[in-house]
Amino acid sequence: MTAHAAAHGMVGGERAQGAVGVHTQKLGMWVFLVSEVMFFTALIGSYIILRWGTGAEWPEPRTVLAIPVTAVNTFILICSSVSMVKAYAAAVKDDQAGLKRWLLATVVGGATFVSVQAFEYHHLVEKGFLPGSGLFGATFYTMTGFHGFHVTCGVLSMIWVTIRAFRGKYAGGKFQGIETIGLYWHFVDLVWIILFTIVYLI
Amino acid sequence: METAEHKAPNYIAVWAALAVLTVVEVAVVYLHLPRRLTVVSLVFLALWKAMLVALYFMHLRFEPKRLLYVVLAPLPLAVILVVGVMHGFRGP
Amino acid sequence: MTAAGTALPGHLHVDDRSFVRKYVFSTDHKIIGIQFLFLSLFFLLVGGLLAMGIRWQLGFPGQPMPLGGWLPEGVAPGGVVSPKTYIGLVTMHGTFMIFFAVMPLLVGVFANYLIPLKIGAPDMAFPRLNMWSFWLMIPSGLLMLASLFVLGGMSVAGWTVYAPLSNSPDYTGVHLGQQLWCLSIVIFGASSLLGSVNYITTVINLRAPGMTWFRLPLSVWALFITAVLAILAVPVLAGAVIMLFFDQTIGTHFYLPAGGGQPLMWQHLFWFFGHPEVYILILPAMGIASDVIANGARKPIFGYASMVWAMIGIAFLGFIVWGHHMFQSGMNPTLASAFMVSTIVIAVPSAIKVFNWLGTMWRGSIHFTTPMLNAIAFVSMFIIGGLSGIFMASTPVDMYIHGTYFIVAHIHYVLFGGSLFAVYAGIYFWFPKMFGKQLDERLGKVHFALTFVFYNLTFFPMHILGLGGEMRRIYDPTVYEYLRPMQPINVFISVSAFALFLAQLVFAWNIVRTLARGKKADINPWRDCGLEWTVPSPPPHGNFETTPTVYHGPYEFSVPGAAQDYLPVNQPLPPVPEGRR
Repeated sequence: MTAHAAAHGMVGGERAQGAVGVHTQKLGMWVFLVSEVMFFTALIGSYIILRWGTGAEWPEPRTVLAIPVTAVNTFILICSSVSMVKAYAAAVKDDQAGLKRWLLATVVGGATFVSVQAFEYHHLVEKGFLPGSGLFGATFYTMTGFHGFHVTCGVLSMIWVTIRAFRGKYAGGKFQGIETIGLYWHFVDLVWIILFTIVYLI
Repeated sequence: METAEHKAPNYIAVWAALAVLTVVEVAVVYLHLPRRLTVVSLVFLALWKAMLVALYFMHLRFEPKRLLYVVLAPLPLAVILVVGVMHGFRGP
Repeated sequence: MTAAGTALPGHLHVDDRSFVRKYVFSTDHKIIGIQFLFLSLFFLLVGGLLAMGIRWQLGFPGQPMPLGGWLPEGVAPGGVVSPKTYIGLVTMHGTFMIFFAVMPLLVGVFANYLIPLKIGAPDMAFPRLNMWSFWLMIPSGLLMLASLFVLGGMSVAGWTVYAPLSNSPDYTGVHLGQQLWCLSIVIFGASSLLGSVNYITTVINLRAPGMTWFRLPLSVWALFITAVLAILAVPVLAGAVIMLFFDQTIGTHFYLPAGGGQPLMWQHLFWFFGHPEVYILILPAMGIASDVIANGARKPIFGYASMVWAMIGIAFLGFIVWGHHMFQSGMNPTLASAFMVSTIVIAVPSAIKVFNWLGTMWRGSIHFTTPMLNAIAFVSMFIIGGLSGIFMASTPVDMYIHGTYFIVAHIHYVLFGGSLFAVYAGIYFWFPKMFGKQLDERLGKVHFALTFVFYNLTFFPMHILGLGGEMRRIYDPTVYEYLRPMQPINVFISVSAFALFLAQLVFAWNIVRTLARGKKADINPWRDCGLEWTVPSPPPHGNFETTPTVYHGPYEFSVPGAAQDYLPVNQPLPPVPEGRR
């Protein structure tokens, strides 16, 4: 920065006037998550519109879907969010052992969630509940399918991050990447909280 | 850069709250309350859980206000889209 | 992207990677911008060729098209395009022009090229993501091109692919063509979103010291606001198109009445995206026009702050007007009235901008360079397009003109008269910075004059056709007795359109010739204030030797007491002369 800029307290970059005040990678992830909110709005919004806006026939979700199993699965995903948060806390303290442990736990939690979902899909298909099974089938598979796709991408990314953690890439104060992926992970959990309620319970 | 000086939240407490809220949600379904009460309760519970995740796990409680504005931006639009289209189908 | 080899001062570093890493899979925003330029000019050509097919059929219905004999018999028996092929041409013309020509030209080229340079940054916030943003356009474009040639034909549902026409393959015969359209658009959406994340984050977090929000050039403001629109609107399109794709492939019935679905829901979802989309198509053009007009008039932009607020107002209002595309759908009249009001209101910030451009030019020292001519054309043609928009905003009027050529006239006045002239202005203006050579001014003026004349001859008469009742997307107007008296207008339009297309050859020739043997351009041929003009042409990897400091706003032209009639933003303002201000 020039002497003039320094003398006048002019700063640029992340501390620039009117900047948001967070580091760039985190800001980028939040902007991306904003777009994801709109994406799920289109899908969930369509569900709401088709179910309650058009007077279409709609079965009671609990007669088709397995609430108890999914409730447990929801809890598993929430637990993986906790392990993610613990992983970040460990990274901030430079507790590399803790970071690796909690990241592995998150991977396991996420992978479990996806597996249970896949198992549920298999069960539903066997029962004859397909994407073509009325509007409920169409919306159910689309919403949960894309959510599951997002979780899967999250799990794969988390595996990659875990490998990097084992290679020491987040040691010595370089924990920004953990926070960034953590945001994505919590977002996926948040969407599921909404989905579980709207699709399975209401 | 901006790890603002604040006490780390009690993540276990948040986790416990989320677990309890989930149980309550499932219970509400099986209690067979009047329809409207069920729906309102479930929406309220879901939003509460979402808020906990957003504020504590995603750290929004401790972020600069400007970031909050960025994050909140899509929400009115989501509401406008759903309400507007519902209006189109169901009438005034 | 690590720097190997000798380190140069500041941000610059020697880039000694292979040719492929440097120019093909480049993460440098400038290279990516240029890649977008060539990609979108190619698709502009494709869109133009499709338009030629449309105009031939409308002007000379039933007559064999020149080169029509090359097309397969099923598509064009005896060289005459079939009705199904015709509506396919209409669909794909709109699709290619909007998604693959104008959007990449305005956003892909100028956001990528200009933003880091104009805010004093070495590159975008996420250079590798930026590279992905460009390279996703390749499969997207290929899929869309492929859809032209598949069995069953290309999509025939208009660029707006309304259900249930778009998801009734047994009725239209179009199976794969529509599916490829959907896949292409979803990939395009991903490209657009990656780009937008970059633009937003870069503008917020990578500005040089002193580059406050209200010192940003209006082109940067416009591109920033456009990126925000994209972040919020494109995902909704993605969701809607995915559901359409599922209707065609896995047996869902989102938009199919037979299965309880709602075709009208498609329209709502599509236009919720579609209206912000048209502001995505015009805002960057407005930003470019502001930069070029201030430069060409040697005056600061009149009402800089109101320009910014007007763009923000347009963006915000743009989200609550979508129903005006659906006035004839049988929608709830109360809802329609709400949309009517919001649509009429959105004319206000647009008008503010128009008056500000006029105010900028008023008593300026106007230099009629090629960029300036194109920018002035942008303003005047945008006025016409905007005025026709006000007619359509009124629901009762729209009942009559919806789906007619009046709409087609409006679309092309704002998209060609507006966006494309601004694109040309931008290309002529920033070409010397991009390539180190300046496009020939004389050829540029010839291109401008021919384009301006034939463009107006092509599109203005469409207002008359529309008011006379000629519908859009019809194959042969002469089938309708009440349209036959207007057929000479169609012939006139078609001939003008052919001339308009040929006039673009001058532009193409100018580019080829300049790149091949143009002479080296000055570092700042337009005597402009922007940061990009303070670095060599083309700028080195990393842009600036040291991070610049910004001292004042972007349009300090003709400042009293200054040595020249322009002041680069990284130079302090001169001391105020005695007795002034």
